[in-house]
Amino acid sequence: MTEIELLNNIKNNPAVFSELFKLYYKPIFGYILRRTGDFDDTADIAADTFLKAFRNINNFTYKGISIKVWLYRIATNEVNLYVRQRKKYNSIYERLNIADNDLFSSYLHEDKKDLEAELQKHEQYLIVVRELKTLPLKYQEVISLRYFEGKENKEIVEILNINEGTLKSLLSRGLEKLRKKCNQI
Amino acid sequence: METQNFEEKLLKMTKPEVNQLKHQDMLADAITNAKDKSVVSWWWLSVPLFIIAMLTMKSAFMPQTTLISNIHELKSKQPVSSLLFFLIVPICIIIFNTWSIRKVWSLSDNPKDSNSIQSLWVNGLMIIFSIIVLIIYSL
Repeated sequence: MTEIELLNNIKNNPAVFSELFKLYYKPIFGYILRRTGDFDDTADIAADTFLKAFRNINNFTYKGISIKVWLYRIATNEVNLYVRQRKKYNSIYERLNIADNDLFSSYLHEDKKDLEAELQKHEQYLIVVRELKTLPLKYQEVISLRYFEGKENKEIVEILNINEGTLKSLLSRGLEKLRKKCNQI
Repeated sequence: METQNFEEKLLKMTKPEVNQLKHQDMLADAITNAKDKSVVSWWWLSVPLFIIAMLTMKSAFMPQTTLISNIHELKSKQPVSSLLFFLIVPICIIIFNTWSIRKVWSLSDNPKDSNSIQSLWVNGLMIIFSIIVLIIYSL
């Protein structure tokens, strides 16, 4: 099924959104995890990203960007919102009606255990991400998409809705700032 | 040169990968069953609009009164409810709808397309009605 067909199916039957979820939840979750380096924050932000996508999927038309890019865009905005309004953020799981809360909590706990173990395997990455989080958001966005996600400039430009010149300048300045911070360690 | 080396290090550095997420299916079900719990609805605005309609009719059938005099009478007789329905409710509706428009605008890939406009027009209309209520109340 192509993205356009999937989109049309979702518009006709919202339950089909679970197909989109299956396709993109893991990559988006991974993106947020690599950006934040924290499982709890990631779980909340990823759930909020998909809830927003679900509620706004009817506003999406397949013209400029793909659904994947659109989801990355929402996830990026959600991470930024989370960083800015950390104290005001309430866990999304409290707002969702989950069929079996105990089972869900146990699954979430198991995922947390696995992913925290996975994070600990990448010590160098954890140091870099800790330093990256001290930089302004505009640098965090571009560096994370380029070097953690391995995205091409064309895709980053679409996700962040900026022009290529701005991206290149943000990457160059951000990289220099991050290098200096990492060298201080 | 140093930056170039650092760039290479970043690209080659191993990063955490997500292979399996056990909570994924349950979360997908919860999200696809989520209802929009918006507190902003026509019902809130319908109260002041209904009162205005009543007062307009009163001024039409009772020649010695006008809509403005009826509003003033309401303000003096029911200060708390008139403040709530003619001032607080419209202001809240304007704030929530503006926020909602901003959200749809930022999430939509192309805000000028018909789908986005369709979901925005109700918000726009509610803002307009709220402003009308505020203007009538302030007369």
